Amino acid sequence: MSEEVKENTYWKSLSELANNKEYQKFAEREFPENATELTDGVSRRGFLRVMGASVALAGLAACRRPVQKILPYSKQPEDVVEGVPLFYATAMPVQGNLVGLIAENNEGRPTKLEGNDLHPASKGGSSIYNQAAILGLYDPDRSRFPLYNGNKASLEDFEAFASSHFANTSQRIAFISEANSSPTYNSIKEQALSKFNNATWVTYEPFGEDNVLEGNNIAFGSRLRAYYNFESADVIVSLDDDFMSSTHPNSVDYAKQVSARRKVTDTNGEMNRIYAVEDSFSLTGSYADHRLKIKASQMEGFTYALAAALSTRINGLNTFNGYSNEFSDHRWITVLADELAANAGSSTLSAGAQHKPEIHAAVAAINQALGNVGNTVSYLEIPYTDAQSSTAAFQEVVAEMKAGNIDTVVMVGVNPVYTASALDFGSALSNVETVVNLSDYVDETAKKSNWHVNHAHFLEAWGDGYSYGGALSVIQPQIQPLFNGLSGIEFLNTIVNGSLEQGYSLVQDTFRGFFSSGFNNRWTNILHDGIATTNNFNAVNVRISSDFASAMNRATSNISSTSGIEVVIRPDATLYDGRYANLGWLQELPDPMTKITWDNVALMSPAMAKRLGIEKPGPGNDAFDVVEITVNGKSIEIAAWIQPGHVDDSITLTTGYGRKGIGRVASSYIDYTAGGVDVYPLKATLDMFFTAAEVSKTGETYEIACVQDHHSLEGRDMYRQASLSEYKENPDFASFESVHTYPVPGMKEAAEMGEDEPISLFDEQTFPDYEPQWGMAIDLNSCFGCGVCVIACQSENNIPVIGKKEVKRGREMHWIRNDRYYVGDDPNSPQAVHQPVPCMHCELAPCEQVCPVAATTHSPDGMNQMTYNRCIGTRYCANNCPYKVRRFNFFNYPKEYLTTGDDPDIIQMAMNPEVTVRFRGVMEKCTYCVQRVNRAKIKAKIETGSVIPPDGAVKTACQQACPADAIYFGDISDEDTEVAKMKRNPRNYQMLEELNTRPRTSYVAKLTNPNPALA
Amino acid sequence: MSKYQYVPEPTLVKGDHDFASLTRLVTDINLRPTPKAWYLCMIGANALLMVMVVAIGYLIWEGTGIWGLNNPIGWGWAIINFVWWVGIGHAGTLISAILFLFRQDWRTAINRFAEAMTIFAVMCAGVFPAIHVGRIWAIYWVFPIPNQMAMWPNFNSPLLWDVFAVSTYFTVSFLFWYVGLVPDLATIRDRATDKVRKVAYGIFALGWTGSNRHWWNYEKAYMILAGLATPLVLSVHTIVSFDFAVSLIPGWHTTIFPPYFVAGAIFSGFAMVLTLMIVARKIYGMKDIMTDDHMEKMNIVILVTGSMVGFAYMMEFFIAWYSGVEYEKAIFILRATGPYAWAYWAMMTCNVLSPQFFWSKKLRRSVGFTFFISIVVNIGMWFERFVITVTSLANDYLPSSWGYYSPTIWDVLTYVGTFGLFFTMFLLFLRFLPMVALAEIKAVIPQADPHNYDEETGEFHKPKIEVPKPQSGKV
Repeated sequence: MSEEVKENTYWKSLSELANNKEYQKFAEREFPENATELTDGVSRRGFLRVMGASVALAGLAACRRPVQKILPYSKQPEDVVEGVPLFYATAMPVQGNLVGLIAENNEGRPTKLEGNDLHPASKGGSSIYNQAAILGLYDPDRSRFPLYNGNKASLEDFEAFASSHFANTSQRIAFISEANSSPTYNSIKEQALSKFNNATWVTYEPFGEDNVLEGNNIAFGSRLRAYYNFESADVIVSLDDDFMSSTHPNSVDYAKQVSARRKVTDTNGEMNRIYAVEDSFSLTGSYADHRLKIKASQMEGFTYALAAALSTRINGLNTFNGYSNEFSDHRWITVLADELAANAGSSTLSAGAQHKPEIHAAVAAINQALGNVGNTVSYLEIPYTDAQSSTAAFQEVVAEMKAGNIDTVVMVGVNPVYTASALDFGSALSNVETVVNLSDYVDETAKKSNWHVNHAHFLEAWGDGYSYGGALSVIQPQIQPLFNGLSGIEFLNTIVNGSLEQGYSLVQDTFRGFFSSGFNNRWTNILHDGIATTNNFNAVNVRISSDFASAMNRATSNISSTSGIEVVIRPDATLYDGRYANLGWLQELPDPMTKITWDNVALMSPAMAKRLGIEKPGPGNDAFDVVEITVNGKSIEIAAWIQPGHVDDSITLTTGYGRKGIGRVASSYIDYTAGGVDVYPLKATLDMFFTAAEVSKTGETYEIACVQDHHSLEGRDMYRQASLSEYKENPDFASFESVHTYPVPGMKEAAEMGEDEPISLFDEQTFPDYEPQWGMAIDLNSCFGCGVCVIACQSENNIPVIGKKEVKRGREMHWIRNDRYYVGDDPNSPQAVHQPVPCMHCELAPCEQVCPVAATTHSPDGMNQMTYNRCIGTRYCANNCPYKVRRFNFFNYPKEYLTTGDDPDIIQMAMNPEVTVRFRGVMEKCTYCVQRVNRAKIKAKIETGSVIPPDGAVKTACQQACPADAIYFGDISDEDTEVAKMKRNPRNYQMLEELNTRPRTSYVAKLTNPNPALA
Repeated sequence: MSKYQYVPEPTLVKGDHDFASLTRLVTDINLRPTPKAWYLCMIGANALLMVMVVAIGYLIWEGTGIWGLNNPIGWGWAIINFVWWVGIGHAGTLISAILFLFRQDWRTAINRFAEAMTIFAVMCAGVFPAIHVGRIWAIYWVFPIPNQMAMWPNFNSPLLWDVFAVSTYFTVSFLFWYVGLVPDLATIRDRATDKVRKVAYGIFALGWTGSNRHWWNYEKAYMILAGLATPLVLSVHTIVSFDFAVSLIPGWHTTIFPPYFVAGAIFSGFAMVLTLMIVARKIYGMKDIMTDDHMEKMNIVILVTGSMVGFAYMMEFFIAWYSGVEYEKAIFILRATGPYAWAYWAMMTCNVLSPQFFWSKKLRRSVGFTFFISIVVNIGMWFERFVITVTSLANDYLPSSWGYYSPTIWDVLTYVGTFGLFFTMFLLFLRFLPMVALAEIKAVIPQADPHNYDEETGEFHKPKIEVPKPQSGKV
């Protein structure tokens, strides 16, 4: 293939870049993989385990028409029309920060969560965790009742225990709480601390924002949160801050803001410029215009060198005057300093929360010196954090526990036995007489507790809280607690006041305190809008503290970077710190960069892999080399993964995997070998996230289910991009003719015949003008690859989770997938691009022509429809689809789940009743959310008499969820719709246009905004 | 004297058989008590058949997922086996119909045998499209059966064309075979001594008495069916090739497929006939009827069709380059060098290289070598279908969706199991039906054309038949 390489080389894996030499070796093996099917066939039991709460099955669909009774309402409740969903506002706490959501309710059960347009942390978008929360609600593995020393107990028992045990107010109590912004929660905290005079209260998050707060404390003298206003920033410099990834607590808001500045509608458009400095390839790094890879341990030196370079250009950084280190002569330092200085006041610098406080202090000082504060970044006072929110305070408590100085530990929403195994938290607990725990699952910590109380899901219980930026909301429950669990406030209130009180009245009491008058009206409005007030956090007018200079002098003279191999531990892009480990949707969501499902791996650079003797297995072989990573005598064995663009001499590990006994999805099972590896034991201390390590290849292999990295090819035109200046010179750069230098085959002949499109053998679909004509445009300039579209689609369309083994065999069911290509010829620093691919809804659809039973046909409004009832499953349509978006039910994925298991009714509740659950042996694919389209058409018909809904009335699930607004959908026959405007954009192109399939889904080519100085 | 000298063809039946001895040679097999060896073979074939039944049963129970199929590769062994068996099923009708119309009398020795093979091969082939679908219980929807929904199949779909093509081919082949059998069934009926045989063969002999009128009708019917079957020989595999050629997948979307598939089908069909013939004539002592001359003629067909197939392989490469379509170019380069290169080169070796040995007359007439090559050719033709079906799907347009296909044990068992079906049917055929078209072959032995009267004087001479030996050297 090497002759075929074009200038702009797209490739997807290293074996491809090595020009398929692997393939030759591979040629010698006949039927290499999966040839042992008989011995490890799909066992029903194993299958069930992995399905967990993940598999889709709607209430009424089963394989052979099971008898099910439907009970009608004897009295019709107000507002409820069966089959018509209701929408209520609520909010989801993510690491204590609320994201406003709208919950879709069908017959009294929430089935889908979407972003709340009115809420500033959502603005209509959502993250993968928001989308997957619905599955968390209906997870049958959730804890169902309180446990007393492992035995089933009742809430009354707990209440009785609480009132007697906590009557002793002088006992030494340690409260260990997750981060929680709720005013109600924090007022109960105040009550607790005043009632129990020997109590300590610490907040513990494995990946919290402690470093940022502490850094800003160094810079400004108080613990402040850096809140970025990226929408005003022309230049964004991220120092290992992956603010676009779902792992960031404010990712939706930030993604909205950053991508909003990259919407270019015509050649006069301007874009922001993003620089990313990082060790591992992150989503933010893949979205950046320039990316520099340095080791995590070098970040400190890099930051100070940047500050020093800036000190010669702007005032206010005298502390760094004259400082120099190995990076001072780095080209990037000069370029960044010039760029930041030139854009003073409209630039912004951010650093990853995992980095040490001194880096954040320097970053804060730079932002202050640049005059960015108040423009692109503000520093917020967070009312509910204090020094006790730090990991240091937590470590002190653990030390006290070990010393036997604590009588009672109360834990709310934390799982330190798993996440703080570095401190040996489990053995610390055994020195405590009474351990009380509130958690979603009977997890590692709950198992070591005397009292475990099951936690109510946020959709089951009243609550309140602030968003990351300070918007106050009420968490409105959508359903009675399925398992009678307690919310955090109810639990704590029971402990403090001795009796169980409803969360509703606790929250209302708090809000009565906020509003002196008109409570009832305001309360109703809050519930309706999902938001009470914004900007509740005070933006401090910051001044550099007097201690800053000395702190920086200490820091700059005391830089230590690891020599040799360093190991970096990060929250996982899909499972975070492990709290989402039992959600099959997230387990099966491909990692945005590696496209791996169900496992974590050790990411390393190609050069390092070569040194370690690690090779990528050939096509069809999923057995990856395993490495042993040793840190301070503790070691783990984990599969190695060659990550192009990863910094050399460094290994990135992600947390959240390797959990045991908490649920059927999360735990490791031999037959599925899912579950990954727990990497927490490698952390020697809590605040450390990188460390020197020894790495060696073990010679073992481990099978990885990766949905995309199977093969690769070069030089194709599926993904098109140009720089902003190239676009201004040649707006048509993305057209077929520009890419290929000749027009679309058949166009010339068509023009001679007076036609607009190349001729076709088949009947061209002409559409009635009284019907809307649906189409989609995907703006590649906005998409940054987070994968929320995949989860939103899965939730909306009842897409089953199929398990690692089936994914490994290439049978993933996602209707929209996110293709990731590496661009460039250098495997050490490629560009990574993301391309969501749903069904293209071709007007001349190749699938429709080949189906022998006409199961896939065209609708008058231009959709390529799939009639499940008619499908006999020849799979010819999928073969003939050039975009490979069709998905086949090779097994009865949903059925196993419906008819077996301890409580199938629970899981069925997660399903969308508007979407058929597909039986074994039928084909399925993206429908453009036809159920939403038809709902809108019916509504429009009732209200206006026309079936054409107004623009924006129909949003597909992927479009609705997208935090970057990359997906446009609407009536393309109306030239005023947003989608029609996008399609008129000269950057609009059709994938595989030369096939004359005339896809309704098109792409808008990506633009980059490179700095000429770095070219 | 004419300047042209009459060179008589070598006789088609060796061993100076007369009508009676031929009748005994062929029908005694059916009238003798069943040999023990037959039972042993039948047990083996039935065991394999059970493998197929179990494999299909498990498939219906669990779903298509037990096979190695995945998202880009929706068709695997099932479709490969279907095309392979249909290809094998080409030889019989070609031998009986086309060679009949071309008056190739040598066909009479093997046509019954080859037609039986055809019918059983098509039966094996027919299994796969029926079971490979996701919902086997709804497979009848591919037939245009009137229904209350007024829902017709999609007549645009090549799969539907397949349904018609294969079912028509099977029907006509079966009728053709049966019509040819009628006089021979009557012969067995007449020779049978026990009542059961007399009645059974009698029913299927349709009251044949050998009257002039019967013969007249029979000859006409046979001629008409031969005429009907001839286009079918070409159409079936043409339409099977449309399954691929009509799609838009690189490596499938090529106009060369119809002739190339037909040539390949004849190639594999003749190879299979040879495989079976070489074994059968040895066991049943039929060397006088199925002679080395037959084997040589068939080897020439294999050489010709093998070379056509080889030419088609090269044309595919040329057109991929000449078309300028990058996806087309990529798939052919990937076939030869990519993840499935092993299959590609297996195919090239077996199909293009191995028949070239038949340029040598010595090798053409070597029984052992022919047997070996006939098996190699069928392996090669299986790989050809593997290469076409799997590689094109595995590496098509979007690199993100490339995949790799590996069969599971169930793919293998289903395939192996169809040999059980095939051999079960074939053993039943050998046991109960005359394996040589007796009535026809009697017409082509020298005794059927006695020149007893002097052409000039009209005097009667006692027949004196001189049978020339086959000439050495070139044919």
